[in-house]
Amino acid sequence: MDFEEIEHTADRAFRVRGRSLPKLLENAAYAMGALDGLGPAGKSSVMRETEVEGVDRETLLVNWLNEILYLEETHCEVYDRFHILEVSDTHLRAQFYGCTSGDRVTHIKAATFHNLQVKQTPEGFEATVVLDV
Amino acid sequence: MLSKHNLVPVAEYVWEIPPTFRDDMRVPARLYADEDLLDAALADNSVVQLVNTATLPGVIKYAIAMPDIHQGYGFPIGGVLATRLPQGVISPGGVGYDINCGVRLMVSLTTVEEIKPLLDEVAFALYANCPSGVGSRGPLRLSNPELDGVLHEGARWLLGKGYARREDLDRTEEFGRIPGADATHVSDRACERGRAQLGTLGAGNHFIEVDRVAEVFDQPVAARLGIYSENVAVQIHCGSRGLGHQICEDYVSRFQKTVRDYGITLPDRELVCAPFESKEGQEYLHAMACAANFAFANRQLLAHLIRRSFKQVLAGRIKDFDLHQVYDIAHNMAEIEEHEIDGHRVRVCVHRKGSTRAFGPGSAGLPDDLRDIGQPVLIPGSMGTASYVLTGTTEAMQQTFGSTCHGAGRVMSRAKAKKMVRGADLRQQLKSRGILVCAGSMSGLAEEAPAAYKDVSRVVEVVHKVGIGKKIARLEPLAVIKG
Repeated sequence: MDFEEIEHTADRAFRVRGRSLPKLLENAAYAMGALDGLGPAGKSSVMRETEVEGVDRETLLVNWLNEILYLEETHCEVYDRFHILEVSDTHLRAQFYGCTSGDRVTHIKAATFHNLQVKQTPEGFEATVVLDV
Repeated sequence: MLSKHNLVPVAEYVWEIPPTFRDDMRVPARLYADEDLLDAALADNSVVQLVNTATLPGVIKYAIAMPDIHQGYGFPIGGVLATRLPQGVISPGGVGYDINCGVRLMVSLTTVEEIKPLLDEVAFALYANCPSGVGSRGPLRLSNPELDGVLHEGARWLLGKGYARREDLDRTEEFGRIPGADATHVSDRACERGRAQLGTLGAGNHFIEVDRVAEVFDQPVAARLGIYSENVAVQIHCGSRGLGHQICEDYVSRFQKTVRDYGITLPDRELVCAPFESKEGQEYLHAMACAANFAFANRQLLAHLIRRSFKQVLAGRIKDFDLHQVYDIAHNMAEIEEHEIDGHRVRVCVHRKGSTRAFGPGSAGLPDDLRDIGQPVLIPGSMGTASYVLTGTTEAMQQTFGSTCHGAGRVMSRAKAKKMVRGADLRQQLKSRGILVCAGSMSGLAEEAPAAYKDVSRVVEVVHKVGIGKKIARLEPLAVIKG
């Protein structure tokens, strides 16, 4: 996946890229899972579908990541495959797959807007996300 | 680029960045630090984040950073920002995701010598009885009316149910209940996340710690608080769990539009805010109070589980093992207070993001029996070092809106800490120093290694010397429970 961890004193941060907006959103979800250190969820036994709204691309990205955290926490699940089915600058529909979390727990409280900008680059899209842990 | 050259020393350990540093600053930024702590602060983006907060509409006097300042997301951790009411703003990012993350300290008359042979059993009982880890479930299953009761009544809701004592509430900031809570402004999602989490520790830097009172600096005041040298104490560090995280998420996301509606320009989108008197600002305040009350109740229920664990292991084997509450403080909160500014009493909204209320002697809001000594302030250190009990001071009221530091403050990223330290090795090292560690995650333990933090004693020395906190006692860890 196209992301790298960025140094942050107290929390976790990553820079993520995607050749399209859906790819950026999918890669951001993978990046968050990787930084959480939960590893692959194992054989997929659950599938979820969700819709997320935002007033712009940045809000959509943050709300998407927080939606994943919310579903993981409330359903005691871990997801490791993500497919953006539809996307605009203010709306997305996605399916994702995973399994029950068992003893594994997320250490991330939330995705934040800190210095967040979804930038268009010659290769596609790029953003840097800070996670509160 | 911000460097030491941009900071003007205004008193010993006090540095100022004048508002001329950046066009959008409305007030100066003040930083409390010695030379080494200042260097640490300048090593990451925390001072830039401090300067950013000095741009918020209605900010009054200074944007303030404590010596434990470190980089956060939006506001720096270790920051204090007051806005003048009614025209100033309230910012959910100025409180953070873990609303009313805080610390509770309880003490017993049991001595370290008495408990040491039984410490393994105590630590395991605490680990077994106090749910930890992010997704953990608490001992209560709350119905909708019961959850509403917690959100509106805070720790008081547990009184009469066998989980709280009157003395606990008397020794809790705001007496365990923030006024103005209104659960109609809390989303169903937040309620869903919080419903099963009352009485859970969570993960990250949250902990339960059994301590020894290693040193007493002010014997009479310590005795008033029930703190005696070589006795056993217990700290709880946690907050409002998923309920608070969701409330912050809900309002930070919603306020992305609110700032546009009110024409507020900010240097960072995590600083989003709303005019205090606006519908949006008031709704956040009501929801934040619900999360704060949930956090007070959360620490109260954990205190009950800790007392039960002590009884389970120590009853019939040791006398005087009961735990009495010293105090419970919040370090992520926005509170409506009155402070004297330029000779006038001014109503302000004080955002404390990783900083502690430290009201001085005679202040309103303190329990009657402590009013003459000031508010107890609890400063947890990293798990291998020390923690401190301070009291609030008149100087804090004058200089920092009655605020002081909240902990050691990080200097090393979590990723770097994990590269440098193996959790299992750290646990062994701490064990060899007589500190037992029970942790759900070894990588989580490595992230919280003492080397990742500043020297808490140095941080406390600065606030003590400046006078915005007075040293009362020092605690050292015997056993640490982490998620």
